[in-house]
Amino acid sequence: MMLEPVLATLVIGIVIGYVGQRSRMCFVGGLRDFLLVRDSELLRGLLAFFVTAWVGFSLVHFLEPDRLSAETGGHRAAGLALDPAGVLHWFGSIEAPVAYVGLTAGAAFLLGLLSVLANGCPFRQHVLAAQGSSSATFYLVGFYGGMVLYGFFIGRFLLGLVTG
Amino acid sequence: MRLGRPNAIVYGVVTGILAVAAQVFFGVTRPSAYGVCMACHGQEVADWTVNTFAGTHLQVGSLSRSFPLLTTVGVLLGAALASVRNREFRRQPGGGSRLVPLLLGGAIGVAALTALGCPTRIWLRVAYGEPLAVIGVGGLLAGIAAGTLLLRWRAG
Repeated sequence: MMLEPVLATLVIGIVIGYVGQRSRMCFVGGLRDFLLVRDSELLRGLLAFFVTAWVGFSLVHFLEPDRLSAETGGHRAAGLALDPAGVLHWFGSIEAPVAYVGLTAGAAFLLGLLSVLANGCPFRQHVLAAQGSSSATFYLVGFYGGMVLYGFFIGRFLLGLVTG
Repeated sequence: MRLGRPNAIVYGVVTGILAVAAQVFFGVTRPSAYGVCMACHGQEVADWTVNTFAGTHLQVGSLSRSFPLLTTVGVLLGAALASVRNREFRRQPGGGSRLVPLLLGGAIGVAALTALGCPTRIWLRVAYGEPLAVIGVGGLLAGIAAGTLLLRWRAG
């Protein structure tokens, strides 16, 4: 039984949950705050995350070129099983049908829009719920419920739409 | 963290490091750029739980066969700890806001899974160099802008 990722993700979750609560971080709040009131604090946090991760991945790839690609046998899209070649491509080709790309982009658009209306990205909602917000708690019920339904039939339905 | 309030940049750097470290050092390797994601890991916990208690066979990530990735549980714990320690924990009485957040949450969960990640992971995948993520993040930003416009329009 592989315990290592389970324990690691638990600890990571606790750490980012703690820092996230203290910093009020939100991944959609960044652009939202900037557009609404020219406040760039969250946006800088987002940039910091992106740059750090990018530098991190680049460093690993530079030091051990096979490290990242060797471990990943393919991209399993969470919820929609699709397996383009799982090699690390920097600006490589997208090996996916156009309809799939459109669906993904459209879903991302909806994700951004609805998250702004919900007043926070999924991460922020978890933090708010942990602080005692009851509306965030109901959000989470819907969030997890929706994902379970996704596993039961929504995912397959969408996949069928795109590949059928 | 003991030295006053961490700001968003601190969060960004810490989470960026941990997200990469999870993949490189702690075995969170499949799929790629999977170190941190509220939707994906949340789905694993939920599906694993449903499978375990209802005997179903929802497809669960290869890392979560015996026990699911616990990122989202950790976030809840960490945030609760932080808010209690700093006396920001406030049980808010259930106002009228139940159905709308519930429905929004459901729609967002579905959208996130279809977009291959919550906003955090979408950005992580871009940092990883996944071309599809670049398109995804474009959609995400457009959606956020549209949502913000809606807010402004609604506020009159």
